[in-house]
Amino acid sequence: MTDRSAAAAAGEHGERSDGRTREARGPAGRRGDSARKHEAGAGFFVRLTSRWGAGALPPLGALVVVIALWQFGLKLLGTPSYLFPKPTDVVRAASDNFPLLLQSVWTTAYESLLGFLLSIVFGVALAIVLATSRMIEKSVYPYAIVLQTIPIVAIAPIIVIWFGAGLNAVVVIAFLIGFFPMLSNTLIGLHSTDQNLRNLFYLYNAGKWQTMWRLRIPAALPYMAGGLKISASLSVVGSIVGEYVAGIGGGKGGLGFAITQAAIRVQTDYLFACGLSASLLGIAFFLAVQGLSRWMLSSWHESAMRIEN
Amino acid sequence: MAGTVLREALVGRASSGDRSPQENAASQEAPLVVLRDVVKTYANGTVAVSDVNLSIREGDFLSFVGPSGCGKSTLFRIIAGLGRQSEGTVDVFGGDPERSRKQGGVSYVFQDATLMPWANVLDNVTLPLKLAGESRRDRIARAEEALALVGLADYRKALPRQLSGGMRMRVSIARSLISKPRLLLMDEPFGALDEMTRQTLQDELLKIRERDPRLTVLFVTHNVFEAVYLSSRVAVMSVRPGRITEEIAIDVPYPRGEDFRTTPVFSELVRRVGRGLAH
Repeated sequence: MTDRSAAAAAGEHGERSDGRTREARGPAGRRGDSARKHEAGAGFFVRLTSRWGAGALPPLGALVVVIALWQFGLKLLGTPSYLFPKPTDVVRAASDNFPLLLQSVWTTAYESLLGFLLSIVFGVALAIVLATSRMIEKSVYPYAIVLQTIPIVAIAPIIVIWFGAGLNAVVVIAFLIGFFPMLSNTLIGLHSTDQNLRNLFYLYNAGKWQTMWRLRIPAALPYMAGGLKISASLSVVGSIVGEYVAGIGGGKGGLGFAITQAAIRVQTDYLFACGLSASLLGIAFFLAVQGLSRWMLSSWHESAMRIEN
Repeated sequence: MAGTVLREALVGRASSGDRSPQENAASQEAPLVVLRDVVKTYANGTVAVSDVNLSIREGDFLSFVGPSGCGKSTLFRIIAGLGRQSEGTVDVFGGDPERSRKQGGVSYVFQDATLMPWANVLDNVTLPLKLAGESRRDRIARAEEALALVGLADYRKALPRQLSGGMRMRVSIARSLISKPRLLLMDEPFGALDEMTRQTLQDELLKIRERDPRLTVLFVTHNVFEAVYLSSRVAVMSVRPGRITEEIAIDVPYPRGEDFRTTPVFSELVRRVGRGLAH
């Protein structure tokens, strides 16, 4: 109630009291622009899209066109399925091996999630330690950058030696690949606190940890959200790369393992199915993190707000 | 010890000849803030302020006016203990500004409302108490008092971005009052507001001071009207190097209201301050 009256007093009558008006208006503005651009001939398309979700139709349309070209192009050329499978072949391979595929996706998702969580915990923790002292930061951060430049594939075998083939090694690789974006983004965020607010905390005699906890970490959240998005997608990449080198065999293999197996057996259609599942998994991770950061920041940060002009 | 400091300060300023009867009465007490021969030179050689001598007594409302770059804010930061002077001495509550700040009793309002965008009005206002480790019950009770004082009692749960510029400044003022300061430092608090809001907030500030006449306010502004309307004294500053060229007493008793703005005395004082600035 107070929320609403505050908004009304701030001169935002109407929009806030009815969330739907806002939601409906944002995309409408953008559509208005595109409508003006394609005025001639595109009337039908514009009318159609305005009834559907904001910009969902153009990419969906493009997808349909690409899949159709893929299907009928290959059919026309008569390319064998083991060289380049048609979409229908891929779908059939996926449904024939569905329990296996699901198991692989689940394994990779599990590994990625563990690696991702570890990269959040260690990335944020190290960033906080580095941000508390310029001295520590100056002495440690350069090595973090050097570490980041080492290609993960190059050190993967060492990790397998240290942690043994299997889940542990894969999770460590997924963690390593997602760790640095988390660290550097959080660190930048912790250093970008508004100077006026820092002065204010200083003037009110805030301690180092009070300033960290009450000011610097909340102010860094938008930057952390950026890091989360990068790390989330990278951790999926990391666990698949990890499975290439250290994948667990048998029924418990992840997507990376399934891909290598399918490649050896020239099951190209199933290989495609695995690859597409991997990218879907990456997208799911990304969207989950995006949803989380929206929810975290929507009330106050520009990056997550719906802006109306 | 404090007595000699005061006498020197008075002698130093005697040439300006603007001593009011009130001021003479108040001068029996030890001043709250004393600046002697303060010079601030930045690392690049810029002399921001020089030869500043000031003595501020309890209940004073002293405004610093001057063109931009005259060192108003620098002087202010020195009194706040945010930066150190290069030469001279600064006494706040009879001690080092840094130490006095740590003991509490000093509050700040900046040109920017400086609110935490993720925290609601209540959390923003209670920040100084939270940092000082006060209990939650105390914090809320005092926040309600402070918010009522600035007319924002109904906005406790609102986020800063839902408020207008003037309302944000009220939140900032409520935050500065919640710690019950003896000395309030305001650095161009109304500089970014439109004229209507600015005048409303000026009146509210005067009302707040009426409730607590012992509250000492140091106020930075480049607006001559604002300085005359609010202050008991105006220090006119010149640019490069920043110096206090003139001190003008505003001998108009409080409470002051809207009608003060239209009196001949007001116009005359504005002219005097304006002339001081022109030098």
